[in-house]
Amino acid sequence: MMALFPPLVLASVLLPLLFPLLALRPDWARLMTYALPLLPLPALFVAIFSTPGWELELPALLMGSVWQMDELRQLFLLLTAGLWTTAGCFAIGYMGPEHLRRFCVCWGFTLAGNLGLIMAGDIASFYSFFALMTFAAYGLVVHEGTDNSRRAGRVYITMGMLGEMAMLAGFIMVAQQAGSLLMADIPAAIVNADNQDLIVTLLVAGFGVKAGLPLLHFWLPLAHPVAPTPASAVLSGAMIKAGLLGWLLVLPLGELASPGAGSTLALFGAVAGLGAAVVGVCQRDPKAVLAYSSISQMGLMTIMTGVALSDPQRAPVLLPVIALYALHHGFAKGVLFLSTAVALPSGRWARGLVWLLIALPGLSLAGLPFTSGALAKLASKEALASEGLGFAWAGHLSMVSTAISVATLLLVLRFLYVLPAKVKTGGRPNVLWLGWSAATATSLVLFWVMPWQVDGLVKAPVWLPSGAKLWQLSWPLLTGLAIGLVAGRLVSRAPAIPQGDGVVVLELLAGSVKKGAGGVARLGTRLGSGGMAARLMLHTRAAIGLWADEQERHLRHRTVLVMVVIVLILTWL
Amino acid sequence: MSLPSLLPLFALLTSLVASVVIFSLPEKSYRLQTTVNLVAALLKMGLVAFMAWGVFHDTEYRIGFTVMPGVEFLLKADALSMIFAGLSAVLWFLTTLYAVGYLEHSPNRSRFFGFFSLCVASTMGIALAGNLFTFFLFYEMLTLSTYPLIVHRGTAQALRAGRTYIFYTLTGGAVLLLGVAWMHGLAGGLEFGQAGQLGETDPALWDSLRIVFVILIAGLGVKAALFPLHGWLPQAMVAPAPVSALLHAVAVVKAGAFGIVRVVFDLYGTEFTHELGLLEPLGWLAAFTILFGSVRALMQSDLKRRLAYSTISQISYIILGLTLLGPIGTAGGLVHLLHQGMMKITLFFCAGNYAETLGVHRIDELDGAGRRMPGTSVAFTIGAFGMIGAPPLAGFITKWTLGTGALAADMGWVIGVLLISSLLNAAYFLPIIHRLWFRKAPNAWPEEQSWGRFETKALLLWPPVVTAVITVLFGLLAAMQFSPLSWAELIASKEFWS
Repeated sequence: MMALFPPLVLASVLLPLLFPLLALRPDWARLMTYALPLLPLPALFVAIFSTPGWELELPALLMGSVWQMDELRQLFLLLTAGLWTTAGCFAIGYMGPEHLRRFCVCWGFTLAGNLGLIMAGDIASFYSFFALMTFAAYGLVVHEGTDNSRRAGRVYITMGMLGEMAMLAGFIMVAQQAGSLLMADIPAAIVNADNQDLIVTLLVAGFGVKAGLPLLHFWLPLAHPVAPTPASAVLSGAMIKAGLLGWLLVLPLGELASPGAGSTLALFGAVAGLGAAVVGVCQRDPKAVLAYSSISQMGLMTIMTGVALSDPQRAPVLLPVIALYALHHGFAKGVLFLSTAVALPSGRWARGLVWLLIALPGLSLAGLPFTSGALAKLASKEALASEGLGFAWAGHLSMVSTAISVATLLLVLRFLYVLPAKVKTGGRPNVLWLGWSAATATSLVLFWVMPWQVDGLVKAPVWLPSGAKLWQLSWPLLTGLAIGLVAGRLVSRAPAIPQGDGVVVLELLAGSVKKGAGGVARLGTRLGSGGMAARLMLHTRAAIGLWADEQERHLRHRTVLVMVVIVLILTWL
Repeated sequence: MSLPSLLPLFALLTSLVASVVIFSLPEKSYRLQTTVNLVAALLKMGLVAFMAWGVFHDTEYRIGFTVMPGVEFLLKADALSMIFAGLSAVLWFLTTLYAVGYLEHSPNRSRFFGFFSLCVASTMGIALAGNLFTFFLFYEMLTLSTYPLIVHRGTAQALRAGRTYIFYTLTGGAVLLLGVAWMHGLAGGLEFGQAGQLGETDPALWDSLRIVFVILIAGLGVKAALFPLHGWLPQAMVAPAPVSALLHAVAVVKAGAFGIVRVVFDLYGTEFTHELGLLEPLGWLAAFTILFGSVRALMQSDLKRRLAYSTISQISYIILGLTLLGPIGTAGGLVHLLHQGMMKITLFFCAGNYAETLGVHRIDELDGAGRRMPGTSVAFTIGAFGMIGAPPLAGFITKWTLGTGALAADMGWVIGVLLISSLLNAAYFLPIIHRLWFRKAPNAWPEEQSWGRFETKALLLWPPVVTAVITVLFGLLAAMQFSPLSWAELIASKEFWS
């Protein structure tokens, strides 16, 4: 076991970062796809074999950089590198020949950002990697070039940009307060800051865009489904966790009791957990169902983060549980996304087996015993016990989390129901199968073979649940199944809620503003006030542009005149 | 007089002599002209690098003589002048290369390169000017040597733009002259670089000093394109691409900004300006100009016009930084002198490449250009992200330093301005990037040329690629000893702790 091996650490970021250079040769496009699963390997190696606690100082970089590793980061790195590896393998089989180079370039940059931000120990490099990931992932979202993907890309980049700005403002304030650029100094600085609430709000909102916090989530159900399937998998499995990791790194968990902020965050989490499930079961596109399920699952993790924020004593217990949950959800959700592009074989047994393998990660999300989900669910349940929590609705937490479990199962059932049997697969189905099987195996087996060295993370009894616990896990599942059977027909007749829910309202608003402006223009024509109306008829924006141009022209004439007059007067004086 | 003290003079003379030689050479001997130009540019880079090394080790290079009693012509190299001189030297070299490629086979090249060198000589003079009087001389020389470059094409539009330009800048020059003369009357010929020297004057003079300050800023604000004195800049974009590039990155606009830096920083001193109550209004004006420029840029559909308005906005970052009382904010402003120059010249080079190679001028014609011209488009993408302030590029370092400086100076509202401006920057740059890479290319470009093995002429391709790489390095290696940021911090700390 090594402590730190700098070349390997550097390679884990530099390899995907420099990989896009291969695009300089147009005829290497296919070669580039074959390299995709290799890119995260150094990082995977670091995640598995390095002993946490190392620090790598890069004093010349940015404003003095430090990369580091601790237990929390290690889990996130494991998830990220692992998922990107399997998704990369899947991509070889999945991707068609169109714009392949562009896809690979964006893939490399996004991956570099995603891996780098996990290891970044200072604000500047963290923010750099985060931004790299945000901007490069745009290319993955809009890759297909359809109207839908363009719209999703527009919403994605707008919200992503807003998130970046909130984050930047928060970082500047907190760095000024801390007098340091280290991520590790942020929580303490928040504790001492006068404008604590503002900083916390900015940072929570900034990362919340990625993590799918309600009202900041609009882009997510649009963007995750339209991306090519391997990209959807990493978006929903790994990149969504970058937001969560951001919270865990910067919020003063364990250092500050902030029931106000904590309970608000938990409330948002509850809304996400249940609300997304309601919207999700009304979706017809399997990937959209999964995207809403991601929001719902992130909701549970948000609740835990909120609780940790409100109760410092509980934070040390909650942090590893959240990380564990993230790891479990990341792999399971990743493989579920990949499943949407897997064609079921025609043989009866084979079909049944594959279907079962698709269903298992889903059921694991809902907490099926003996899966990673069971472990995560039980751990979270324990950590969320309401005793000693200082906010009003703390008593309902356990009920909420159970409801989310039920909702998760419903979403999974819905997903299996709408999952098409026949799909178009890419040119190399064998590699695609390999990627999918690897992902499935990781999701199902990883938790059994993982060499757990993380203190306090896993308690032995959770592994083989006792009878009572088994029941604790199973009854939400059974309830969900019952509801599913009864209400299944109802849901299939329910009105489809458009993907991206709230954004549709915003778009309608924007549309009606535009329409209103058009109406005013037409009214102007009818009233017949010649030039004015004609100008309004030009697109409203163009009209404003013309007006501004004209004002500037006036300004130009006047400025010179005024200046000449001033000169004359002053010289005379 | 020892050799080292002659260095500033030599640095100035390299471009001046080059200009004279080029003018005297016949139009036909184009190769010789180019050689003279490039040799001079290389020589100048060497001289500036040598001086910068000396200045870093506390050597002062100065040379001057008395014109008439009380009025001195003075050239000197201090840390601040090295920022501007270095930028001017490096970009002169790159822009010359670019211009050689750009103007191949076009008429009047000798005239063009002659004035081009003269223009660069003026910026060198502005950089090295040791007092207000010397500064003024070169400032006016710059005005006159740029005019022929702007109207170079001789079209009606170019002539009109040239007229507006000369109207504005000459008036600005007159106002500046008034300020300079008044200043001489009040305090004599003050040398730059002794911060706070005016603070010891008789408080009875303070009112006059305030008026002089406003006059000086108004005179300099014309070139720095401060609202409402910016009107000439968007028109001047009809100039050939290398001229626009130089104009926006180092020559005219930057000269105005540098002048304001000298006045606030070296003549009045930031703290004294604050005492006079002038710092904050200047900050508001800069903030307004930042937002105004961005909003106007958003409305443009012509690529170069959009870039021009973006310059108006970005230049005011420098001035805004000056008004943030304290070393951090000042460093943020100073560092943007270099950062903005590098990013903006990249963007203008690229705009020139699209126009020359594909005949594309409007933003909506850029669809799919990334596939056709990948090198140029990568450079443009880097430049644009730098402008937005995306890390780890140069623009981010500026934004971060300004932001922390603003908080240190208790001016939190500045962060709001920075964020809104970043969003606006994103709103007018990201759609271009989307078009470049994610839209389908048209069946035929407006006027496509094909040259050799690269996407465009090699001389047009490499300059933007080099400046784009520098943009990345400025940000990525900001903590290195000779990075712009370290240099700016060095200057700023001298101002506040000496």
